[in-house]
Amino acid sequence: MSLAALVGNRSFLTLLFGVLLLLPAVANQYTLFVGNLMLIYIILALGLNILVGFAGLLAFANAAIYGIGAYGTALLQVHLGWSFWIAAPVGAVLAMVIGTLLAFPALRLSGIFLALATLAFAQATQWVLWHWQSVTFGAGGFRTPAPNFSWLGVHQDYGIYFATWIVTVLLLMFTWRIMRSRIGRAFVAMRDGEIAAQSLGIDLLAYKAMAFALSSFYAGVAGALYSGLLGYMSPEGFDLFQMIIQKAMIVVGGLGSVVGSVLGASLLVYTMEFLREFKSTQEIVFGVLLVAFMVFQPHGLVVFMKRWLPGWEEPMHVPDQIAAKVPEPGAVLDGTVSGQKASAEQT
Amino acid sequence: MLMFSYLMATGITTGAFYALVALGIVIVYKSTEVVNLAHGELFMVGGMLAYTLYVMSGVPYLPSLLLAVAGSFVVGILTERVAYRSVLKHGLASVLVATIGVSFILKGIARYIWGGKGDYLSFPPLVSPEPLQIGNIMIMSQQLVVLSAAVVVMIGLAIFFRRTRAGKWMQATASNPKAALLCGLRIDRIYMYTFAVGAAVAGAAGVLMAPLTLLYPDVGFVLFIKGLAAAVLGGITSVPGAVVGGLLLGLIEQIAAGYVHSSIQDLVPFLVIMFALTFLPTGLFGLRGLRKI
Repeated sequence: MSLAALVGNRSFLTLLFGVLLLLPAVANQYTLFVGNLMLIYIILALGLNILVGFAGLLAFANAAIYGIGAYGTALLQVHLGWSFWIAAPVGAVLAMVIGTLLAFPALRLSGIFLALATLAFAQATQWVLWHWQSVTFGAGGFRTPAPNFSWLGVHQDYGIYFATWIVTVLLLMFTWRIMRSRIGRAFVAMRDGEIAAQSLGIDLLAYKAMAFALSSFYAGVAGALYSGLLGYMSPEGFDLFQMIIQKAMIVVGGLGSVVGSVLGASLLVYTMEFLREFKSTQEIVFGVLLVAFMVFQPHGLVVFMKRWLPGWEEPMHVPDQIAAKVPEPGAVLDGTVSGQKASAEQT
Repeated sequence: MLMFSYLMATGITTGAFYALVALGIVIVYKSTEVVNLAHGELFMVGGMLAYTLYVMSGVPYLPSLLLAVAGSFVVGILTERVAYRSVLKHGLASVLVATIGVSFILKGIARYIWGGKGDYLSFPPLVSPEPLQIGNIMIMSQQLVVLSAAVVVMIGLAIFFRRTRAGKWMQATASNPKAALLCGLRIDRIYMYTFAVGAAVAGAAGVLMAPLTLLYPDVGFVLFIKGLAAAVLGGITSVPGAVVGGLLLGLIEQIAAGYVHSSIQDLVPFLVIMFALTFLPTGLFGLRGLRKI
């Protein structure tokens, strides 16, 4: 193995997580908070990338599922007096169950109609958070009890940080393995052609449900950790803009790339925190990022990594010829024509 | 009974307005097979432009209306250029992501320019703010203005599609882009006009509705969801369907608000979208079998 092969995604991940592990030794409280947020967004981006990047299901419900995980964890503590350590897994599983139910409309809907239905679901979730005041405390939000780390003898800021670090590393390793297994390959096959995948014996219902379940489990776990980190819940944190932030992370990093999710999340959390005071600038920056990447580099930053770093592997990443596959009979005549209609009439 | 007729009257006037929003969505979807997620923001931009001209600069109402519509027409062209034409080669899903990017850019710009003034801008009503009494129903006179303007816009669109060449080009491109291209139509330019006309309708709706909704940067998305529900209910490819869908949605909302709980009103569009997409995928007027979902 040549030395150049060491400059790749594995060394990038080792370095990043090494730095994050050592961060509490040098960081002040705010830097620690940002580092913690970064870990949470890495979990979110991994989960969303499984659904959108690997399985090719464009859904807009991730922020809502994240909210369900966070609210579930917080409300179980507030209303039932559960400890964080029981409430968090239950909240994450609750998010996973609700997210899996979304797979059923997903079977009948494809493409943009799935996106619209999940958008409606996300807005309905927002509505529940705002209006079901007896349970969710409405627009004003509420304080959540801090998770107890006294049994470990560490301060709670460090406790939640290391807990998040461990969960993130475990989920990252899990994603890495599972996306290279039969399941990950089935997702990619489904993304690149549903009929072809079906004819290879891939059960679309099972795998779509699995993609939704995995992705919403990640979002639920991230939500549970977020409620432990922040100690305060309000509905604004889980709105459409949250969805745009997460979407921008995986688009910037690279759809269908595990390391891309990590890359995108870690870069954009800083952008987001840097602009926290300026809502309008935040919106413009994330909007421009989405549009610019969609126009100029829809496969994300990992394309450049693959080109420049010899050890960077991206086996499941969208290959160019497939991403450009839009079936366009009209395109034979003119590159800009949408031939969707013509193909609909032929079938 | 009085309450019922009141709810009916309000339902029809708000429904006519939802129909206007839905019309823009349908026009764009019919020829491009894309739902422009920035449609609500085009609506908001139309309202904001009219506010700047009419309230802040004292331009008379009719020129303000026309200039605001022209402004959203231009923004529509930009949207097509940025988020549709250059992204289409990567697939329709990418177009969807790009249009939502555009919607946030527009929202951010609006917040930057118009957001600092107490956030909720009130647009003075065109006619007297006193409610009118018809029979024994009280109705806001601005709602009647919106209703009649919506009817005018719908008739105008019908004439545009039936009688003008540009309208016929758009219909030809929508029904078969390949054949339209072979007939010598510059269909990429027609896509551009389609987006622009959709945006102009949104802009007109924005100006008309501004006195009733107030103006703030986030107003667009709420109304986009309502328009989308109306469009989906009517079968997203049908112009009459959009009108009927809008009226139905308005009535369902009012009845839910009147007989169940007033806050349910905002939940109705989401439920309608979920229900219609899952159980009634061709809508009420959509062509069966044509739409691939």
